[in-house]
Formats: sequence, structure tokens, C-alpha cells
Amino acid sequence: MLRFWLSFSALSTALVIAAVLGFLLQASWPLLQSQGLGFVTEPDWYPYEALYGLLPVLVGSFWSVSLALLLAVPTGLAAAILCAELLPAHGRYLLRFSMEVMAGIPSVVYGLLGLWLLLPLLESQLDLLTGRSLLAAGLLLALMILPTIMVFSEAAIGAVVREQRETASLLGLDWSARLLRVLLPQAWPGIRVAVLLALGRAMGETVAVMLVVGSLDRLPQPLYNLLQPAQTLTSRIGREMAEASVGSVHWAALVASGLTLAVVAMALSLLVQRR
Amino acid sequence: MTRTQLSKLLIVGLALPALFVPAGCLVYILFKGLPALSWSFIFSATEGTGFGASSGILAQLLGSLLLALAASLVATPFALGTAFYYRLYASPRQQRLLVGLLNMLQSIPPIVFGLFGLVVFVHFLQWGVSLLSGAVILALVILPMLVLNSIASLERIPREYTEAAQSLGLKHSAVIGRVWLGQAWPGILTGQLLAMARALSETAPILFTATVFSGVIWPTSIFSPVTTLQTHIFYLAQEGNNQEVTQIAWGSAVVLLAAVAGFSLLARRLSSWSDKARVITSEE
Amino acid sequence: MAVCKVCLAWATQLNTIDKGMDKMRHRLLTILLLLMVLVPVAQAVEQIRVAGSTSVLPIVAEAAKHYRQLHPGLSLTVSGGGSGVGVASIDQGLVEIGMVSRELTTSEKIRLQGKVKQMAVARDAVAVAVSKVVYEGGVRRLSLAQIAAIYRGEIKNWNQVGGPDGRILVIDKESSRGTRHVFAKMVLGSETARAPGATIVTGSNNEEQAAIANSGRAIGMLSHAWLNDAVRAVAVGEADKAVLPTFENVTNGSYPIQRQLNLLVSETSGEAGHLFVDFLLSDQGQRLVQQVGYLPVR
Repeated sequence: MLRFWLSFSALSTALVIAAVLGFLLQASWPLLQSQGLGFVTEPDWYPYEALYGLLPVLVGSFWSVSLALLLAVPTGLAAAILCAELLPAHGRYLLRFSMEVMAGIPSVVYGLLGLWLLLPLLESQLDLLTGRSLLAAGLLLALMILPTIMVFSEAAIGAVVREQRETASLLGLDWSARLLRVLLPQAWPGIRVAVLLALGRAMGETVAVMLVVGSLDRLPQPLYNLLQPAQTLTSRIGREMAEASVGSVHWAALVASGLTLAVVAMALSLLVQRR
Repeated sequence: MTRTQLSKLLIVGLALPALFVPAGCLVYILFKGLPALSWSFIFSATEGTGFGASSGILAQLLGSLLLALAASLVATPFALGTAFYYRLYASPRQQRLLVGLLNMLQSIPPIVFGLFGLVVFVHFLQWGVSLLSGAVILALVILPMLVLNSIASLERIPREYTEAAQSLGLKHSAVIGRVWLGQAWPGILTGQLLAMARALSETAPILFTATVFSGVIWPTSIFSPVTTLQTHIFYLAQEGNNQEVTQIAWGSAVVLLAAVAGFSLLARRLSSWSDKARVITSEE
Repeated sequence: MAVCKVCLAWATQLNTIDKGMDKMRHRLLTILLLLMVLVPVAQAVEQIRVAGSTSVLPIVAEAAKHYRQLHPGLSLTVSGGGSGVGVASIDQGLVEIGMVSRELTTSEKIRLQGKVKQMAVARDAVAVAVSKVVYEGGVRRLSLAQIAAIYRGEIKNWNQVGGPDGRILVIDKESSRGTRHVFAKMVLGSETARAPGATIVTGSNNEEQAAIANSGRAIGMLSHAWLNDAVRAVAVGEADKAVLPTFENVTNGSYPIQRQLNLLVSETSGEAGHLFVDFLLSDQGQRLVQQVGYLPVR
């Protein structure tokens, strides 16, 4: 009896992922049926004209996440090193604690910060027509993933066994050499996990991005222009999921965006688990 | 300047934004939100008419907590069952497979679960926009972390305990009930508290599947929609130039933060208490 | 029902696990009991669920407040999302009433054939709104052609239409929103016309209003009940025949961008929805409509 219940639980859990993937594939099917794979490179999104281009949101998600990582990883890693290596015990505890608090801040609150603090700041400092842009999204995402990177990297660095540090010192390596040649390489797997987790979070963030990215389904002109309003995969789903009738091609296109998100996220997760 | 000094300076320099910007934001949130707090703000409900400018967030607070609790209740049986199966019956290959699947599940953005839930629970199962739909969707979001945490808690139990119990002839159910839960319950509970904190901060998956803008103070049944702090803040965020509304939004943000932090702190307390207790017992 | 099953399954699992786990079981059982007492399972409660246009939402929310006092046992929930959500929700049976601030498109009419009854409960003007700074900088009037040119990206600077020097922040709306359909039909020629000159896209009236107010150089489309000191309406039309979106101008038909605010009431889900709409159409209801800032239907 017990075994039955336990097996049932485990099986259900394992099947959830199959169910979700199955749903995503099945629900996107109408789009593939009506448009083939052309929608992936289609640069236009306008459901009323049966245009379901994925390209604008792919570019948008790519830029916002890349910017977030570019900003958050160096500084987060530096803070982690600071915490693990340079701060006294009290400082370490305080920093770690505050970072864990920050990591728990709900994304909608970041949305408030973005909308009411970041946007006016960008508009005034950069003399922009509107602060809503991939830049705003990237900055906000960087802020959101910073605690994650910091906490996990710090744990990874801190976990490097004492003997290794002592051996390094005995060998005559100074602090910076020890850091670069021993600690970081040893902690690298953990740091890699931190970065990939942060990437996953940045990619999947919906509400905060929805409020500050401008929601304009257009490719940036030129392609690297981060100062223009744009759209991301998550923002598009968030804004339109309630108004598309389930079963319509519009709905299928939204699910296709979701499928893209899920596939990339799972690929990342597999990357974390291999090697 | 020596190389070490230079590199230390570089590290500190790079780290400064990480140290001050997040902390600064937190201070800003508190600065904006604390003035809005009052007894009546938190503990009275409003009709939510007009443009959302009336204050009183009791309904939203209750809705958030209820949703998180419900999600935890839905997920926990499966999480524990899976964890026990993992420890008791799973072969090493099954164990690897399970952990792999759970990690992949954990990586899926919550909005995708929202899409899934909209079709499967709201439409297909005809649950409508309801507490139940939201709870199950959130349960999906927190399931992986609950399972992994439970497994980790169980693995901290020394092998000797389990082997001793089995050598005494105890049935599996007794092993689980008396030995495992007895040892691991702090860890499992910690995981649940953290999962609830997580459920409290999800907005996107419940926006169109569990919540409405107004009309609900206490849900009359699990098929009734709810209002939550997260979605309330989201609606208020779109009214950016009304002073009262921004005040309410920040206040709600602080309350939400307090709830999330509350659960996290509780989890930490529990975790460190149980570590100390474990040290004491193992030294006997 | 489902919750009961979950609870029972959980309780049985607990029972197969021996006693002695008092702490945990007690905690869980108390929570379970609390839940079962406080959240009774699926009562057959009379409910009216409303969702859709944010232009209609203030009216319905206000009316709901009064209506609930008249019908204490009733559950009346209101949600926004836009006219598109109103149509989709009622089409999929998620609500009893859908709020739509525009006319239905042909494909929508076909989909909803026989399922809903459309009732107008108020009238409204779609104002072409500009930021206060722009308004005070001299832009008091715009012709339909000028507005169209702005939204098509042909006019980019406020000084081209009599205002201060500065780029125009063109705020568009999500394409399924009622306000946008009405605006696009009058200004761009078709309800689903594109606006290549748009700078950003907002959703609800709230969001658009906030965006216009927070910028010093924006133009947008707003339900006229959302106008305030920071968000001003320009008169629409040619030089001497420009018309402001006032109540008189809507009533006498001279303001071109106006609409009826509609409720789509489900024909298949009971009387409750119809009764609520009757309330809205009564004298008391129509007075509420005016209170909130819209024009009554008659």
C-alpha cells in the first residue's frame, strides 16, 4: 500500500514535465500548421493580420538577458569574492543575509522600482524620449539576478577547502595569484551554476519586464539599439495571454513563445547538470 | 602598489555596485512604503472601486497567504511521497533520472506554468479563474524545490539510523514515520516555509488564472477567485501619477516583502535551531 | 471536491505513518481543519463574474458596490484586461458579463452568435490626450489628418503641429483594446490598422494615462473619464471646426471619436447577469454612470 502511494507520487512528479511539454507542443501546433516554421524569422507581430513573428521577442529577450548578465556577473562575482575572502566574519554574515533578503524580493516590487524610479532616471540622464527600453529591462533584470549570483558564488568560493588555501600560501602564491589560480578554478563549477541559474531567472522574468520594456513588437533599429522600446518573450505572453482565445492561432503563437522559453530553460538546466 | 593590493582594489571597486545598489533599493522601498502603513491599511478591506485608489489591503493579504498555503498543501503530499520513494525504492538510475527531471522542471519559467494552467485547469477542467487553479499552478512551480529539499533533508539522516531501524524489523511505514520524519521534519518544514515564500512572490502565473481586480474579500469556496497583494501591486503600478495610489502600492510592497521575509526568516531560524539540536544529540 | 480528495489522501498517508509524529501531524491537521472550516467546498453561490475593458470597469465596479448591498449573498467579481479579454472570456465561458468598449468585429460577432446579448450602458468619448507641457506649449487642436500622420510616423516633432520643439512620444495601445479600435477606425481608417509611428505600447487606460502624465511630450488615446490636469484633451478637427470631447459634443454627435460602452451578457448562464445590467440601465444605475464620469446611454 505504502509503496503504491509513493510510486504514484514519484511518477506524477516525473510526469509533470512530460505533461507540460506535451501541452506546449500540442498547443503550438495550430501555428505550425498555418505558418510552417516561417514564424521564427518573421520580424513582425500583428495578430490581426496573421503575423506571428518570433524574431522581435527573440532579439528582445536575448538583449535584455545578455545585458543583465554582463552587468550582474562581474559585480556579483566581485562581491562574492569580497565576501568570502576580504570581509571579517560579521561583515560576511551581514552581506550574505542582506543578499538573501534581496533574493526574496518579489518581482512585482522590482516592477515598481523600475517603473517609478528607473524609468524617470533613464529619461532624465540619457535624454530619452522614453525610458521604456531594453536597457531598462536589462538593468532591472541585472538588479534582480545580482543577489542570486552573489549568494551562490560566495558559497562556492567559501566551500573551497582550507587545505587548498593553505597549500597555495605555502607554495608562495600571493593573494591575487591564489585567487586566480586556485580559488576561482576550484569554485568554477559552483559559479557556473550560479550564472546559469541567474540566466534562467532573467529569461523567465515576466512582470517586471512587462512594465518597463515598452511592449513594442518591433525589431530594434539598428539591431543593437538598446535604447528603444521593444518586446520580450515573457512580456508578450504576459500581455496577451488573457485575450487570445484558447485554440486560435494567436493562442498557438503565444504558446510557441512559451515553448521557446521552456526549451531554452531546460537546455540550460541540462548544461548545468552535465560536465 | 603590489599586485595583491591592486587586485584587492579592483575587486572592491567592482563589488561596490553590488553592495550599495540593492541595499539602496531596499531602503528606498521601505522609505516609500513604511509611511503608508497603518493598522487600518493592513487590516481593513476595500471595495476596490473606481481606479483602485481606496486603501485597505486585508483581502489581498489574506488572498496571497491563502494561495501560498493552498499551493503548499497541494504540493507537499507529492513532494514527500516522491522524496520517500527516492530514498526507499528508487534505483540509482531512477534517482538520477528523477533529479534530472526535477532540475529541468525547476528551470521552466513560471509564466509557462500559467499558460499550462490556463488551458488545463481554468478551461479544460472548468475550474475557472479560481483559488484552486492558482493553487495547483503554484504547486507546480514550487514542487521541484520541495522535492529536492525533502530529499536533501532525508539524506542528512545518518545511514545508521535507517539501518538500525530496519534491523529491528520495522516496516517501511514505521521507518518513515518514526525515524525519518522524526529526524528530518525541521528540514522538511524549512523547505515548506521557503516554498511558501516563493509562492508569495509569484505574480505572472496567477494573474489570469486565480485573481480578479475586485469583488472578493474572503473566497467563499475554492472555486472562487481571490485578490492577492502581488496582483494588486501590479494593477496599482499602472496608475503612476496618482499620489495616493503610489502610496498604497509602496505600502503593499512593504507588506508583501514583510510576509516573504517573515517566512524566510522563520525557515532560517528553524534550520539553525535544528542544526544546533542535531549537534547536541550527536554529542551525547 | 478536489480539495477534499487531496486532504483525504494526505490524511491516509499520515495514517499509514505511525503515530508519534505529533508535532508535524498536529500542525498539518490544524491547518487542514482551518481550511475546511474557512474555505467550504464549492457552495452553489450566486455569482456574476465580469471582465474586460478598463474603460467600462469603473462603471461596473461602482455599480457593483451598490448592487452588492442590495443583494448580500451575491458574489460579484470584476477584472480588467481590455475589451479583447472581455470577448475572449465570455466566449470561453469564464465570465457572465464581458465588458467591451467598442463594437464587435465581424469574426467576433460570428463566434459569439446567439451566446451573448449586447447592451449599451453608457457613452464615452475617446479623447486624444497630450501631456500638460505640450498642451500649454500651444497644442490645443489637431486635425484627424495630423493625428494620423503622427501615428504613422510622418510627423515626428511637436513644432510641426504648433507646439514646442521636441520629439513626440507616440503612445499606442494593445491592438485588442476597445479604445484603440475606436481610435484607429476614426483616425487611421480601420479598427485594426497599424501605427508604424508608435513609440511604446500600453495596455489599460490607467497605464496610458500614467505614461502620458509622466512624460512631457506624449500623445495618446484615452477614455475621456481619465482626463485630468496632467493629461489634457486636444480639440479634434479642422481649424475653426475643432471639437473638444465634452458631454455636449458627444451628445450632439459633433465629436468624431465616440463610442458606446457595452456589456456582453451571457445568454446561457442564468438571470443574475441580466438583472445586474437592468440595474445599470435603471435611473439609479445611470446616475452612477454619470458620477463616475461617463455619459448615460439616453
